[in-house]
Amino acid sequence: MNSPTPQFVSSRRMSVYDPIHQISMWGEGFKSNGNLSASIPLIDEPDMKLDSQSEDASHGILGEPNKYDQEANKPTDKIQRRLAQNREAARKSRLRKKAYVQQLESSRLKLMQLEQELERARQQGMYIGGGLDSNHLGFAGSVNSGITTFEMEYGHWVNEQNRQITELRRALNAHIGDMELRILVDSMMNHYAEIFRMKFAAAKADVFYVMSGMWKTTAERFFLWIGGFRPSELLKVLGPLIEPLTEQQRLDIYNLGQSCQQAEDALSQGMDKLRQILADSVAAGQFMEGTYIPQMTSAMEKLEALVSFVNQADHIRQQTLQQMSRILTIRQAARCLLALGEYFQRLRALSSLWSNRPREPA
Amino acid sequence: MHPNIQTSVGTPFPPPLTTDTAVDSGGSNGPGLATVVRMVLEKPVMVIGTRGCCMCHVVQKLLQGLGVNPPVYEVDEGDEAAVADELSRKIVGGDDGGRVHFPAVFVGGKLFGGLERVMATHISGELVPMLKDAGALWL
Repeated sequence: MNSPTPQFVSSRRMSVYDPIHQISMWGEGFKSNGNLSASIPLIDEPDMKLDSQSEDASHGILGEPNKYDQEANKPTDKIQRRLAQNREAARKSRLRKKAYVQQLESSRLKLMQLEQELERARQQGMYIGGGLDSNHLGFAGSVNSGITTFEMEYGHWVNEQNRQITELRRALNAHIGDMELRILVDSMMNHYAEIFRMKFAAAKADVFYVMSGMWKTTAERFFLWIGGFRPSELLKVLGPLIEPLTEQQRLDIYNLGQSCQQAEDALSQGMDKLRQILADSVAAGQFMEGTYIPQMTSAMEKLEALVSFVNQADHIRQQTLQQMSRILTIRQAARCLLALGEYFQRLRALSSLWSNRPREPA
Repeated sequence: MHPNIQTSVGTPFPPPLTTDTAVDSGGSNGPGLATVVRMVLEKPVMVIGTRGCCMCHVVQKLLQGLGVNPPVYEVDEGDEAAVADELSRKIVGGDDGGRVHFPAVFVGGKLFGGLERVMATHISGELVPMLKDAGALWL
């Protein structure tokens, strides 16, 4: 179980903040010398000597009652020993404090470095952590390994995607031949097939995670439709960027957009029906009874259908990509894929800039 | 569930079937099923799905959006296996036909496929010509 208490936060989050551990240790070290008070520095004055003659004087210097008053009649060496122990304890305490502060300082530097790196990476469109709110460790106390795996793989996927986009851009600018271009295009198409495979597995692990696009950045999520982009919308964005096209190609792309729209509408209507069925299921039977297990059982069964919706939506996306690759020449397809990749890079960068924009203090 | 019926001009369509009307005596064996099989063979397009299934609704909406108004036969949850078997034997034929999964779309008396195939062929532009060939669409 992961219930965060001050000492038991997971090391992954807390490695920079180990000093919290140090605080309690340092505090305890302080406490163990219980008879010390704020007067420690005064006690440790090097030129302060305590002997039977200057007891009263030292009491005056200390300025507050001290158990050594009561021991005025005890042997001096016992007192001396205690004072020496106090000095030692004070010295150790100061050393620990110094060490702790040094550690704090270096942790602070490290943190600043990490933040800078993160910012640099985010602005280059790299995938970072998907937002701490989508963290799958901790809150409910259970780890969804299917989703953890997906998030990790998605990080790699985005980095590979960025690499392929850069390569494609270079290739197009260098005017390489169709044969070599085809290799790059096929490679990118396979890469997209990969993300759909990953989403298929993730949907089985947690369909709501996929439905809500939790791994995506905020701007990407703004355009979300059943766990991903809406193909007809994307075609409208990309269409102008692939020109020049033949008249037939323009017609084919238009028809493709229409077909996508029709398929999307049918799926959306199915979702509306599912919502209606689910609402009926949850609301069935008497209220105010305080129990609703049969409703929950029935609703759980209905929710299973959500996985099919996500899969069908992804299926439409994949088919749209396939059909585009059939309509376009290899060079046009390369330009199309480049535009597609760059579009999402820009959305990711937008998300990062938006979340870091300067805000008015509350 | 009774989907809205919009008849195309000059094309009388029968009202959609449910197991209520198709089956006389509370069972999915017997005359009810035979009627279904006959309809599959006779109609240009037919959709068969489980009652209350949202994917069946999706298929139906997609086809309706194209101007096709397929009759929809709804199977009660318990009867799925029996109906699927019957269809596999009579329509798909033999052991090689493979199991029928719901929702199932039949075009021109033959098993066309499920939602996925309908979507894929529509995106690729092949669906509408097929529907026209089968006489499900005029234009």
